[in-house]
Amino acid sequence: MSDTLTDIDVTIEQLLDRPWVCIVWDDPVNLMSYVTFVLIKIFGFTKEKAHDKMMQVHIEGRAVVATGSREEMEHYVQALHEHGLWATLQRDDKI
Amino acid sequence: MSQFSRHGENFSLSLSIDEAHVLINLVEQLLELLGEGDFQHHYDQNDPFAQLMAMQQEVVAPEDPVLKRLLPNAYADPEAADDFRRYTEPGLRRNKQDSLRVIREELTVLVDKEEAGVIPDLNGEMWLKAINDLRIALSVRLEIHGESFEIFENMPDEDPQKGIYAVYFWLGWLQESLLELLTQ
Repeated sequence: MSDTLTDIDVTIEQLLDRPWVCIVWDDPVNLMSYVTFVLIKIFGFTKEKAHDKMMQVHIEGRAVVATGSREEMEHYVQALHEHGLWATLQRDDKI
Repeated sequence: MSQFSRHGENFSLSLSIDEAHVLINLVEQLLELLGEGDFQHHYDQNDPFAQLMAMQQEVVAPEDPVLKRLLPNAYADPEAADDFRRYTEPGLRRNKQDSLRVIREELTVLVDKEEAGVIPDLNGEMWLKAINDLRIALSVRLEIHGESFEIFENMPDEDPQKGIYAVYFWLGWLQESLLELLTQ
């Protein structure tokens, strides 16, 4: 079997198994300290991890803050919206 | 001069009467925008039957840019976004309205007395979220972006928007000070 083929060999099962991700988007309003506070509260992140995610949102414009089932991600997105953060969910881009 | 204080797990906020007026005005405007009627509901809105009835109503993405930001789409795909909105938006709206209504009642006590005062035993996290919602609402109207503070600082005093910018940045300062107390 050629190496190149196995490299791109993606089964239907793998495609269907792709998890969902919850993404937080940057906005010019939410205070950096507030975003960090909300990430700790909702996801139970350590202060360091929450700060890193917040900085990623700030610098790259977005950050994946959670990965899992669609239901879980919907629950997180709703909690983030309750706190005024701009969040969406989607299938993970990566396989 | 506005100031949050913390004693143990108790939070309070002292406000001048002018600040109380500014805050209650914003709170009432946002309540109105969120569709808060001035009628009294005769049933518990958390009642399963009431929720079922609410679900039958058409829930569509809001047109107003402030509501679009406060009640955003959860999916990039419009169909999935609308589906999700149908089930979650009434609750999200109610969550924001409930907080604003409590704050309105607390502010009403000060405003009715027409003097500076203290709001005792307030719910710190609820106030934190509500101040954030007020800032978001103002930011959409003011089209706030990364350089807005510099623009505000260089604005001539006679600019009619200067006062609104001042309120926006004051709310940011107020939120930051409450956050510091909450994370102590």
